Amino acid sequence: MLEIKNLNASINDKKILKGLNISIKPGELHAIMGPNGSGKSTLANVLSGKEGYKISGELKYQGESLDEISIDERAQKGIFLAFQYPTEIPGVNTSNFLRTSLNKVRKAQGKKELDALSFLKIMKEKSNELGMDEKMLSRQLNVGFSGGEKKKNEILQMKILDPNLVILDETDSGLDIDALKIVADGVNSSRNKEKSFLVITHYQRLLNFIKPDFVHVLADGKIVKSGTKELAMELEKTGYKGIN
Amino acid sequence: MLNFKISSDEIDKIGNFTKEEKNFRLKNLEYFNDTGFPNKKNEDWKFSDLNAIVSKNFNKLDIQFGKSKKQKVDFIKDFEHNYIVIINGELTISDFRYEEKDKITLKSFINDNYSNRKENNPLINLNHALSDKGYFLEVKENYKFKKILVIYYLFTNDLDENILNTRNKIKIRKNSELHLLEYVVNDSKKIFFNNVHEDIVLENSAILKNIYLQNSKSSGYFHKYSINKLFTESNYTSFIFPAGLKFNKLDLEFNLEGERSECNLQSASFINNNEHQEIKTRVNHFSPNCRSHQNVKNVLNDESKGVYQGKIFVKDVAQKTDAYQLSKAILLSEKCEFDSKPELEIYADDVKCSHGSTSGNLDKDSIYYLMTRGLSQQESTKLLIDAFLNEVADSIKSNSIRNFIKTKLETQLQDGY
Repeated sequence: MLEIKNLNASINDKKILKGLNISIKPGELHAIMGPNGSGKSTLANVLSGKEGYKISGELKYQGESLDEISIDERAQKGIFLAFQYPTEIPGVNTSNFLRTSLNKVRKAQGKKELDALSFLKIMKEKSNELGMDEKMLSRQLNVGFSGGEKKKNEILQMKILDPNLVILDETDSGLDIDALKIVADGVNSSRNKEKSFLVITHYQRLLNFIKPDFVHVLADGKIVKSGTKELAMELEKTGYKGIN
Repeated sequence: MLNFKISSDEIDKIGNFTKEEKNFRLKNLEYFNDTGFPNKKNEDWKFSDLNAIVSKNFNKLDIQFGKSKKQKVDFIKDFEHNYIVIINGELTISDFRYEEKDKITLKSFINDNYSNRKENNPLINLNHALSDKGYFLEVKENYKFKKILVIYYLFTNDLDENILNTRNKIKIRKNSELHLLEYVVNDSKKIFFNNVHEDIVLENSAILKNIYLQNSKSSGYFHKYSINKLFTESNYTSFIFPAGLKFNKLDLEFNLEGERSECNLQSASFINNNEHQEIKTRVNHFSPNCRSHQNVKNVLNDESKGVYQGKIFVKDVAQKTDAYQLSKAILLSEKCEFDSKPELEIYADDVKCSHGSTSGNLDKDSIYYLMTRGLSQQESTKLLIDAFLNEVADSIKSNSIRNFIKTKLETQLQDGY
């Protein structure tokens, strides 16, 4: 699904990723843990195609290089990034936006666009699963949403767009335990043999609810240790300092 | 270089006037000829050098324009309405089928006020000197219009380097209410200049809700001076969607003459290509306990230019004034320009006055976020522009009218971006 080899990324001449390697197969869930400033969010941004980074190395998605692929095309090909800080967009109605987004992705994938009614049905179903108040979806996109609501809205988008590769950038940050469970359930119920996940997090806490197949420790721009979920437990005890 | 001096013979060609009226027109012409079209040395025109603009684009300006061709009107079908049709400034047909006819007066405008002075805006003098068309609309006391009145302003395709001077007046008597849509439809293909003088009076407790919409792109050069008088407890709400002209300057003056009168001005424009648009307002709080609110939004693309000059004046007696003005502009290209000049002049000590002005690019993070959801850069930009401008139309209460306006604005944006 995703093949990253010797990835380097810098912004404003500052090197952030320094030879990162990772390989994710369909159906796998990988967790990346790391201290502040280790390059976790940069990795998420680079995978989404965000501009402003100078990049070298190999970045392959479904066997194809992502080098020349723009942000929107990546989304249309099934890469989804759940933001750490979802952007507030005044004046844009949440549910209209979700429909536009879904239809863009469907169209690019050669599927039929959905009319308002069929879309509403899907949206209702998915938002109920996440225990979201439907009224929220008629509000402006992320405007005035609480931290938890914003994160739920990201997971809702993930469920509606049904991507192949999901990148969760610190989705657990700022969530109370109940919201964390709901978000984790949202992820768990979406897991299947075809879908891959890259879960970026600070804390082991999220991994109590989402069981990773692999755990990687990111420090100073590269993976310094990889293992299974036991590695996350170990980290919780020793801290990142104990790893090196 | 165009010669802006206009010969007094032109006045005789317009019509036969009483001595008093002729003198009034001659005097105004003299005032205009003193200055000609205003240039940037005039503070009120410093961002819109009309002299240079007219010189650059016009070879001549024909004052005389014969009878206009009859024009087929494409009536709006989206909602029931009364209508008036104005062709090249001239009152033609009207229909008040939903109203009590004896509550309404409509006739061609006849001026009966010959007091004159040299105006700071020379186009007012020009209008006084040469105006030969226009309408007078009066809503009599204690009458509320049942349906909206649409005024169709048509401009025909035989206009070619003409200048039209029209004068309109709307008077809403005590306790009466009028909802108005001023709908400008342009068939003209060539350039022309439209110089309008508008006079609106709201008597005590009168209500006017007005929407101004430019339907399609045009090579028209428009200038309107509008003087609005609001008496006790009257209420005026105005939505203006004026974009789409080569040049457009709206010079709007609101005089809050009576206590507890209120005016609310909302504007949204997408200015494109090399269009030039200015909204200049002056809100005069002459009485206590009045409220004024202005919200002007502009999106500029390409090599366009937008200007907002907004002044709030509060007289010493006008205590408890509540005045607010906000201008927001989004600049999409390197070559567009937006100038904003907010002014407050306050002589009372117990007032609430505030203003704000912002201009900048679209938020990059917002575009990034939308693109990660599969929208192209252009689609994301369009969605954000829509969102920015729609705020104004969204506050129109009637569903059918709001939807009509939003569809029209959407088309403008579709064509332009």
